[in-house]
Amino acid sequence: MSDDKDFVTGIDSNAKKTPRRVAFITRRTSAQVKVTDEEQVQSYPELLFRVAVAIEVLLIALVVTALLFNAPLEGLADPSHTPNPAKAPWYFLGLQELLHYFPPMVAGVLVPGLVVMALIVIPYFNINIEADGLFLRDRKLRVGIFAAVSIGLTLFLLLFHVYVALAGTLLMVAVMTFAAYSSPQSPSKFRRYLASKPLSFWIMTWFLVELVVLTAIGTFFRGPGWEWVWPWQSY
Amino acid sequence: MAKTLENYFNDLRRTRLWRSVFRSGWGTSTLHRSLAIQQNVFLHLFSTKSRKRMMSFSATWYLGTLTFGTFLILIITGILLMLYYHPSVPQAYADTKDLQFVVSSGMFLRNLHRWAAHAMVFLVFAHMFKVFYRGAYRPPREFNWVIGVVLLLITLLLSYTGYLLPWDQLAYWAITVGSNIALAVPVLGEKIHFLLLGGNAVNANALLRFYVLHCVILPLAAVVLIAVHFWRIRKDGGLYSHASEPRTIAQQLATANVEAAKPEAK
Amino acid sequence: MEDKETKSDRSELNRRTFFAKLGLGSLSVAAAGTAVFCYQYLSPNVLYEPSPVINAGKPESFPLDSVTEDVNSGIYIIHSEEGLFALQAICTHLGCLTAWKQELGIIACPCHGSKFFVRSEGEHKPGDKIEGPAPRPLPWKKMWVSEDGDLMVDRSTEIPPMQFVRV
Repeated sequence: MSDDKDFVTGIDSNAKKTPRRVAFITRRTSAQVKVTDEEQVQSYPELLFRVAVAIEVLLIALVVTALLFNAPLEGLADPSHTPNPAKAPWYFLGLQELLHYFPPMVAGVLVPGLVVMALIVIPYFNINIEADGLFLRDRKLRVGIFAAVSIGLTLFLLLFHVYVALAGTLLMVAVMTFAAYSSPQSPSKFRRYLASKPLSFWIMTWFLVELVVLTAIGTFFRGPGWEWVWPWQSY
Repeated sequence: MAKTLENYFNDLRRTRLWRSVFRSGWGTSTLHRSLAIQQNVFLHLFSTKSRKRMMSFSATWYLGTLTFGTFLILIITGILLMLYYHPSVPQAYADTKDLQFVVSSGMFLRNLHRWAAHAMVFLVFAHMFKVFYRGAYRPPREFNWVIGVVLLLITLLLSYTGYLLPWDQLAYWAITVGSNIALAVPVLGEKIHFLLLGGNAVNANALLRFYVLHCVILPLAAVVLIAVHFWRIRKDGGLYSHASEPRTIAQQLATANVEAAKPEAK
Repeated sequence: MEDKETKSDRSELNRRTFFAKLGLGSLSVAAAGTAVFCYQYLSPNVLYEPSPVINAGKPESFPLDSVTEDVNSGIYIIHSEEGLFALQAICTHLGCLTAWKQELGIIACPCHGSKFFVRSEGEHKPGDKIEGPAPRPLPWKKMWVSEDGDLMVDRSTEIPPMQFVRV
């Protein structure tokens, strides 16, 4: 369409129909029509009853848990006696594990701060909006960058003896390498799935894996003096 | 017996008193059902109609709803627990013991509060990961994602401040370690530590500050941001999940053609 | 044919209403149970308040014709000709602490001017109201002598007037 204007408009103001949104589509994007009309149902009762049931199920699950398991309560706070080990609540144990390897400035301020900043800016970077597979464009360049980052990160973690984080990182590197050598035409569904994943997916999954691993280590594998213990060892 | 009960309620609904409170009346018509949402101060944050495909369980796993549900449970149990708790040292510990062994249903309420808190932290992380993996942070929903991250931080802070309140060994040392990390912040570290604790050590002032943070300041902040979070969902075009998106017309045509072609191929 | 349809129609409605009633019924039972537990939770089982029973010491420390006010426990211990008795010192009007006016021989409340007898005068018993807005007389409190010979008063138990402890 070679119009003088950038857009063509048409508005149907039939008030009896569902209110419509008007989308102005610039030339740079390609719009695909998904549906012209969608099935909608009354929020009351359809949505509200489903919400009520979901919350009721949650309440029952929590009530049963509360009836069966007691919240812990140790002795009175005693500033003159530090228990060994002194563990943070479980959602901070990943952080506490990290504190074992890095000084508080890094593990306690820098890393959490960077993580929060990284989370906040995700939607504002185009690379996160793209839904294309990471290795499906500029393949040689991207595989090169991936290799360099993987080696650099591995060396860094080895240098600081953060073997637990290294394990998670190596796992992700292995899966990503597998993805790099898959394509949308690969025979197995799993390889096609991996090939289609964008960079944002890989970074977030790496973060999730590290979070789970570090929290699990801090919960089950750390004993007095923050020494390594096996979960079945009592201390 | 049941018939007369129904008649009684119907008569009640026609009284002037009832109609002055519940203006729209009850009914199964579309109008009544829409008014039930639109005329309700609490519910009119929702739209009167919702997309059916986003209500399926696999679309969102209801994680946002469940997180909000745990928040409600925590508010109710928390307020009840406040009635027996003095935020002073060492009374706080004695009160926690009282709640467990002396107060009727005290043990149950404390347990429910603690497990709902753990559940909320877990659910809010799960919700965040789900929103990410389903692409629901992409424009126009960027700002709602940011609000969500702030809500995540508030949830963690709520859990952290609440952790100190029983004033047992677990609480005291967890908070001591945590607040010492604040010291590591460059330039402002000591000031932050001092303001957070209301002093130089975890003592009575710290307990009181954490109590006010936990019971007043952070819940208020959370409620305000939750309201904005829900509002943004509506204004940004409703719930979204790329896995639940309807297929494009082209895709629909493609599959239709394939199906139509099969008998011919045979 | 029509009979069958109406029968199935009716049974379908019954099934829907049955489940609706089952659901609402369970919710009401749960709500009622929650209300009961809430009430029990809100009523404290243990009170950190001082005991209503007080030990006033030896009866000898209260000579004849003496009126002794214990402001901390809110009672008067009075030794008259008939014997010992205890009056509540908290005014029955709105809860202020009354005072023994020796020069006037009466008990007076500073808040709204109620005045009470402290000894029998004609028809009036100790504790009866002379004047003022108080709705009822100052009650007599249960008093007895313990095994150790101490004078004991139970502030939570009222007794009919003119019951004296004689020592």
